[in-house]
Amino acid sequence: MTQEITVRAKKVKKDHVKARLIVLSILVGILLLAAIFARQICPYDPYAQDLSISMQPPGPGHIMGTDEFGRDMFSRVLIGGRTSILSTLALVLIISIFGTFIGVLCGTFGGFLDSLVMRIADFFLAFPGLVFAMAVAALFSGGIINAVIALALISWPKYSRVARSQTLANMENSYIKAARLSGDNSAQLIFRHILPNILGPVLVTAMLDIGTMMMELAGLSFLNLGAQPPVAEWGNMMSTGRSMLQIYPWIVMSPGIAIFITVSLFNLLGDTVRDYMDPKNSHSR
Amino acid sequence: MKKRIAGIVLALALSASTLAGCGGTGGTSQTSAETAAAETAAKTEGAGGEKTFVFGDTTFNAENDESTINPHEGYSGWACIRYGVGETLFQLDDDMNLQPWIGESYENVDDTTWKLKIKDGVTFSNGNPCDGEAVKACLEDLVKTHERAAGDLKIASIDVNGNELTIKTSEPNPVLFNYLAEPYGCIIDVSAGVTPEGMVIGTGPYVAKELVTDDHLLLEKNPNYWNGDVNVDKITVRTISDGDTLALALQSGEIDAAYGMAYKSYPLFTNDNYTFSSTATSRSFYCQFNFNSPVCSDGAVRKAMAMGIDKEGFVKTLLQGYGYVGKGAFPDTLSYGGQNVNTESYDPEGAKKVLEDAGWVDSDGDGIREKDGQKLSVRWLTYPSRQELPLLAQSAQATLKDIGIDIQINSTADHNTICKDQSQWDVYVGANVNAGLGDPANFFSTHCLDSSTKNRGSYHNDNLEKLAKELEDTFNKDERGKLAIEMQQQILDDHAFIFCSFLKMSMISRKGVTGITAHPCDFYELTADLDVN
Repeated sequence: MTQEITVRAKKVKKDHVKARLIVLSILVGILLLAAIFARQICPYDPYAQDLSISMQPPGPGHIMGTDEFGRDMFSRVLIGGRTSILSTLALVLIISIFGTFIGVLCGTFGGFLDSLVMRIADFFLAFPGLVFAMAVAALFSGGIINAVIALALISWPKYSRVARSQTLANMENSYIKAARLSGDNSAQLIFRHILPNILGPVLVTAMLDIGTMMMELAGLSFLNLGAQPPVAEWGNMMSTGRSMLQIYPWIVMSPGIAIFITVSLFNLLGDTVRDYMDPKNSHSR
Repeated sequence: MKKRIAGIVLALALSASTLAGCGGTGGTSQTSAETAAAETAAKTEGAGGEKTFVFGDTTFNAENDESTINPHEGYSGWACIRYGVGETLFQLDDDMNLQPWIGESYENVDDTTWKLKIKDGVTFSNGNPCDGEAVKACLEDLVKTHERAAGDLKIASIDVNGNELTIKTSEPNPVLFNYLAEPYGCIIDVSAGVTPEGMVIGTGPYVAKELVTDDHLLLEKNPNYWNGDVNVDKITVRTISDGDTLALALQSGEIDAAYGMAYKSYPLFTNDNYTFSSTATSRSFYCQFNFNSPVCSDGAVRKAMAMGIDKEGFVKTLLQGYGYVGKGAFPDTLSYGGQNVNTESYDPEGAKKVLEDAGWVDSDGDGIREKDGQKLSVRWLTYPSRQELPLLAQSAQATLKDIGIDIQINSTADHNTICKDQSQWDVYVGANVNAGLGDPANFFSTHCLDSSTKNRGSYHNDNLEKLAKELEDTFNKDERGKLAIEMQQQILDDHAFIFCSFLKMSMISRKGVTGITAHPCDFYELTADLDVN
């Protein structure tokens, strides 16, 4: 009887996680579609100035109001989303692929390469992330691409650490030894056996990292070390509008709420993916 | 998961309550402003009934070459004169004419000889007399140590007879005493020396007691002030380089008055709790063209840009009316100002025609014109420390795009280094006080001539050089004005510069502060008239 209740509870939990995953995936999918097709959806040119309608509050014509140059805030938030979300996804993709590749190599071959790379990783991990990124971005003299490069430089070691530890754990498994005995070379070992088995934790790390990276990218832009005006980017838009928070709050609130919703959605999705892939939940197998 | 949702709801509630606290200019914020003003008023009467005053300034910092209050060092004289430590021989009145201050009168004996009389009874704050010998010692030290003074003043010798000085210049210098009204001309007691922090002894109503560069300056009432009573006992000048922080400091009552407030914050203070003191200045926001640029060497491009910038919209909307549309190098308030010259007005259609006639056409349909394979892309070099400049850049970027010119903005604090390399920029956009000394010569000599240190774009015109030579030798003020008009027209005809607007400078003080008045030359801020109630 107790066993039956436990099984039923697991099933309920499993269904709940799955439903959550579907709902969040749909919401994130909508967000991504909005970012990809931002140019087509925008009701106005996000860069077109009309000083005669400067600082208009939200209303029927401009649902998020206008900024000091009379640009439509809704259009800028949409285009800003394209910049922010796509830059973040590109950043996470770069660091996860690069970091994982390095980590797998270290875990597989060990030795001097492993020691050297891990000490370099320790070096990067020893600094407070955003402060180091600020220094690097300032060195590259701003711009969204430079901000992405700055964050990529400091963020890859996390993935290397995860991938290396997972690789080392897998190397002890008998199927790896069997693969070696059956004549697989190192490349075959990595691509056929190691990577498929460590992809789960790396994916979860990447999903959970999207929100953080988005905040850090927006943070750099807020500090004028990322996207430069007039480029629509959420952090940059908040920075240029911060002095108007008390008088024209919509100029800061529009990109602020957009960041809040987007980061929350990606964080929730990351958590749900982690729950879904948790080995304790039978549905992940 | 439920905890997470609860957390999110809590975060939203906190954000909403923060917003409620910040929102609107009436209601709650009005009450906070009143409370802050009341609190500040309460602390005005310090211990022992002393009157204290706190002033916030965005420009008193090393970034502006204003690290100390020693007038013989860089632009630190601005702090010396602005905060009432030092005074010059003559001061500028509201019409930018010289009026006696420490000096009583001056007389031009011949082209290179001047006689100066110092007022009797002037003393430094340490009690030493500010007599002819003291002034001579100060001017000699100024010429010896200050990087710009020797070239500006051209002083060859100074002879003293009591409180009368005879100054000889190495060549004619019709505006010698205008230059001596520059902040570096503050008369200081050189025998008292300069403290390691950069504090000096002047003749002004306040005495510097403590200086921490980029942080604060403590001043006390000068007990030996020679020119009347001083109302305030102690003053703290706080360096607050960020405009938003400055606004919050004034709102919260941390400071009593502010200089350098962002225009965007002005609506917060347009109520009965604060007083604005505003005045037109000759600080212009201008575009200076690079004559070696592949695109701006074409006169048609320069002309089209002059026709494609919406100066009126920039001043009215982005500067919120706190400025004046520029025409010439000098504002209309001066007799030789922009009202005397002709230049292009905002005319996008006309600008398109100018470009088309010059062969700049959009052949690939991307909205940007080309000529001989060269895109009409202009690199716009500017800097962010003057808040108006990035706004001007973005405004011009949009209006010039409409006529087919692509503007690539580079707004950087490193502009001084970059502009030395002409291959890095096409137009330099900056701010400059063009007639701060009440005379037009300085602008031309520093920006437009072959010998100018700030002729960044290598502009040259034979006629302008000839007129400049004439200006150098002309002592008559009206004649100088006529020459200044002719020279302005020449640089406008060549489209070497675009003068977009002039600054309307404002100081904002809380209710109860009196005697703080904005001045057209931007030199005088804290005077003996300052009072707090």
